[in-house]
Amino acid sequence: MSRRRVLGMLGAAGVGVVAAGCGSSVGSGNSGGGGGNRTVKVGLVVPQAGVYAALGTDMKRGWDLWLERHGNKLGGYSVTTVTADEGEGPQTGVPAVQKLLQQDRVDVLVGIVNSATALGVKDMVVEAKKLLVIANAGAGAITGAGRTPYIWRTSFTNAQVAAAMGGFLAGTVKKAYAIAPDYAAGAEAISGFSTAFTAGGGTVVGSSKPAFGKTQDYQPFLSRIRAAGGQATFCFFSGAEAVSFVKQYAQFGLSPRVPLYGSGFLTEGGVLAAQGDAAVGVQTALHYSTELDNPANKAFLAAYQAKNNQAPTVFAVQTWDAANVLDRALRTATGLSGDALAAALGSVGSIDDSPRGAWSFDGQSPKQTFYLRRVERSGDHLVNAVVRELGVSGQVG
Amino acid sequence: MLDVGVVAVLNGLAIGFLLFVVAVGLSLVFGMMDVLNLAHGALFLTGAYIAWSVAGQQPSWLGWLAALAVATAVGAVAGGGLSLLTGPLADRTHLEQALLTLGVALVVADLLSILFGHDVRAVNPPAGLTGTVTAAGSTYPVYRLALIGLGAATALAMHLAVERTRLGALVRATVADREMVAAVGVDARIVRAGVFVAGSVLATTAGVLGSPIYNAGPGLDSTILILALVVVVIGGLGSVRGALVAALLIGQIESTGRALLSDLASFLLFGALAVVLAVRPRGLFGGRA
Repeated sequence: MSRRRVLGMLGAAGVGVVAAGCGSSVGSGNSGGGGGNRTVKVGLVVPQAGVYAALGTDMKRGWDLWLERHGNKLGGYSVTTVTADEGEGPQTGVPAVQKLLQQDRVDVLVGIVNSATALGVKDMVVEAKKLLVIANAGAGAITGAGRTPYIWRTSFTNAQVAAAMGGFLAGTVKKAYAIAPDYAAGAEAISGFSTAFTAGGGTVVGSSKPAFGKTQDYQPFLSRIRAAGGQATFCFFSGAEAVSFVKQYAQFGLSPRVPLYGSGFLTEGGVLAAQGDAAVGVQTALHYSTELDNPANKAFLAAYQAKNNQAPTVFAVQTWDAANVLDRALRTATGLSGDALAAALGSVGSIDDSPRGAWSFDGQSPKQTFYLRRVERSGDHLVNAVVRELGVSGQVG
Repeated sequence: MLDVGVVAVLNGLAIGFLLFVVAVGLSLVFGMMDVLNLAHGALFLTGAYIAWSVAGQQPSWLGWLAALAVATAVGAVAGGGLSLLTGPLADRTHLEQALLTLGVALVVADLLSILFGHDVRAVNPPAGLTGTVTAAGSTYPVYRLALIGLGAATALAMHLAVERTRLGALVRATVADREMVAAVGVDARIVRAGVFVAGSVLATTAGVLGSPIYNAGPGLDSTILILALVVVVIGGLGSVRGALVAALLIGQIESTGRALLSDLASFLLFGALAVVLAVRPRGLFGGRA
């Protein structure tokens, strides 16, 4: 009896092994031709702690909302999402990506806020031949000079956003001051702005690069801005620094004399509420605003607010769009390898149902419309009202 | 250009006096109890969050005073707790005490993140101090002027309390020789708890006072802790006068130093620290070896 049972169990196990073997061979032979329950495993790398944690929350919400509204499917594949904490920099972000690739064996990577992390995981992604869709990091090199076919981006480049503002401002004033933190993104923003502003006939009367993450008091720089005699100030700050800078700009009485302009991250998301009245009248350039008047944005806005009880941000939209382009790519891709997905991404064409308005890939980074936004009071809260469009631009920097 | 200089000096005073209020507590705890309290920055951040949650983003005077009262109470409780926690480690090395208080700092910072989220919480000065004054062509926020006055008053009060009262004599005696104070019959545990409570209350109230300048957000705790440590090292342990001089010096370095030598901004602070350590290893007003 017992021997028979053991034999029976062995037999069953053998059948199981054979069946599993068949399954896997069928799976690997499947080339995207309409199988029933195919799955794709996505590694979502976003900051869950540290100074960028608020961005990470918005990005995860954008990703989750897209899946929720599309039956948890990307291009016919059922989606399993594994989230990893990117942390503040490469020292936490790179191991997070490594874990997703080697331990969780994900098919696709999405996310990444920090540019140094994005550049730091390049070799690993190339070696694994997996696709990485950057949903924020803005260093030009990621999809420019340091490009690999496996890394695409649905966000922006730092210089692209700054150049949109530089081009516009050149038509308004002749002399401007530029200020941004002394790290790579800040340098790219100042150079993107200066190039576009000078090309439009303006003169940059001075620029400052306060120490990144170490400056709480901007008074020395504000004095210099006042002394330089510009007609406008362009700045690139985000997070806590954006709050401090905008508040102090108003506190030291500069706002009425030298109007403040910036890359849109200055007044995006939670920082805007913290800046309060100090931010009213500040004008920024960005590829999204909650106030955009298009059907895709209205539907997105309503769904996001209903689920999270909070207005979405550009960071949520970028991750929503990462899901959107993956959905399109997976419909036509011949498999889940980085090469197959990159090829499919190359032919997705215009993303015409994005909350930010229609955009397409220029190389591996978005070619998109930029908007001039002005902070205005709407009821009991502040919004980035859309003043006008600033034209379409592809990768800059 | 002169007016720019005046604004920078004024600003250095405002930042300096605020730093004094934070650092003097750390200095007393270190000087008297020989405990390096790395949770001091977390207490400052707690105070800043108290300002935001009690007084709100646009505080009224009532709200502002309520925030100061709550911060005092929380600081007192936290000080008592820290005193109890570090008590058993009194005879251990600085490293062990530092590990304990660092652990407390990390836990508190995480709890604050859970309670208040990851966004920066901004606080404005209380009603009436939100404006600016204009003199000689430059503009300066009223609140920072008020901070200079308040800081100077606190410094004077601390000086008188330490130099002219019996309690102050006890404090000075404990800094000089803890064992001897215990030997003449003063209960070391009471002194210990008292110093911790006073130091922690100074940190949390400084958090409230500093919130209109620094806001409240993740990471502020370590920024403030480092500035306070630099002040304590430059000024010398347990010295009110030293903390004041060092805080005002750091204030000027952070303000006029950055204005004049912006390229060296990050270097200036620690450059000054290195110079003081090389010339007077025990700080400007530290006791003799």
